[in-house]
Amino acid sequence: MARPVLGRSSAISASGTAAGEPRARVAHLDRDRALVEEARRDPLRFDALYRRYLAQVYSYAYHELGDHHEAEDATERTFLEALAALPRFEERARPADGEGASTFRVWLFQIARNTIANQRRGRRRHPVASLDAAATIADPLDVAGGAVARDEAAAAWRAVGRLPADRRQALILRFVDEMSTAEIAGVLGRSEGAVRVLVHRALRAVARDLESGSGDR
Amino acid sequence: MSLLDRDAASADALLTDLYLDALLAGALLGAAAVGEGPGSIDRDLDPAARRAADRLRRDLARVHPSFRFEERLATRLAEAAVAMRVPAAAGAEGRVVPFRAARYPLDEPDPFDDDLRGQTRDLSRPLLIGGALTSAALSLAGAALVAWRRGRPSRSVPSMVRAARAARAAHAARRLV
Repeated sequence: MARPVLGRSSAISASGTAAGEPRARVAHLDRDRALVEEARRDPLRFDALYRRYLAQVYSYAYHELGDHHEAEDATERTFLEALAALPRFEERARPADGEGASTFRVWLFQIARNTIANQRRGRRRHPVASLDAAATIADPLDVAGGAVARDEAAAAWRAVGRLPADRRQALILRFVDEMSTAEIAGVLGRSEGAVRVLVHRALRAVARDLESGSGDR
Repeated sequence: MSLLDRDAASADALLTDLYLDALLAGALLGAAAVGEGPGSIDRDLDPAARRAADRLRRDLARVHPSFRFEERLATRLAEAAVAMRVPAAAGAEGRVVPFRAARYPLDEPDPFDDDLRGQTRDLSRPLLIGGALTSAALSLAGAALVAWRRGRPSRSVPSMVRAARAARAAHAARRLV
């Protein structure tokens, strides 16, 4: 999805092949296309896209900022900006992106990334994910196991938080938002090969961190 | 970094990518327990990286905002959406039409300005009918009057203009002498 190419496929026209040549037609690959078109016609219909991607955008913001309130703020700005900019959105899915591809999602996360980057720049200190964040994820019913899980989650969060920004973002998009390499490339504005290397190196750095035990401090 | 090293790094990155694809797909389907799924990729991948990936899959979970926040933002977006629809609704019925397309000769063209001699003035002016005008509580008759007054060539030249032209003519005559 990294390249700005609208997906096209060759197909024989319905009226037959008078000229004997297949006619290229636009293949609408973006799975959010119908919702995007409805939202363009009637901005109130944007609600469906909002409900679909709220948790994903919020999670990304939360893992990046490590604070619920800041994540809410970033999420709100992202969706308001997306709604205002929706008339300018262009679908750019390619056949190689597969059926589940959503360039709208990539576009939305580009907005989220910029919003979060501005927010991180705007604050004085950059805390990595807090213990509270880890506690949110640990099982609240299993008290003993929950404490261990919470400690382990906190260590993993700290290890990720110590990574350089691009590696950290790539890992969060890969694991939290379960994006493909192509989608991450679109969000970060890199090639797919570069993203693969980015994720690979980030994973090795986290592994070193966790194996050495420094992630626990 | 040599080309060989770069190729090796790319191959390792590709291997990690394939492993993560399998790992996350397994997580999505609720199948393929960690370390049992991806088969040969699992064996080829660095064990430490594999353990880190398994741990991140477990610990970097998706979180959902509070219901209160979700509904508050939904309301805010709905308000913004309504605001986006309002300008279109207010001006949608209006259309721009040419108002009294006519040409009039220029009155008393400047005798020293050859470019303007014999020229006419285009009085066609666009006028917005409906929409914004009605919403602004301006009457069509009032708007038409203003447009007509602004476009109508003046029949009498103001005294200041006459004085300026006389001074200019006198100055030119002095220069000729």
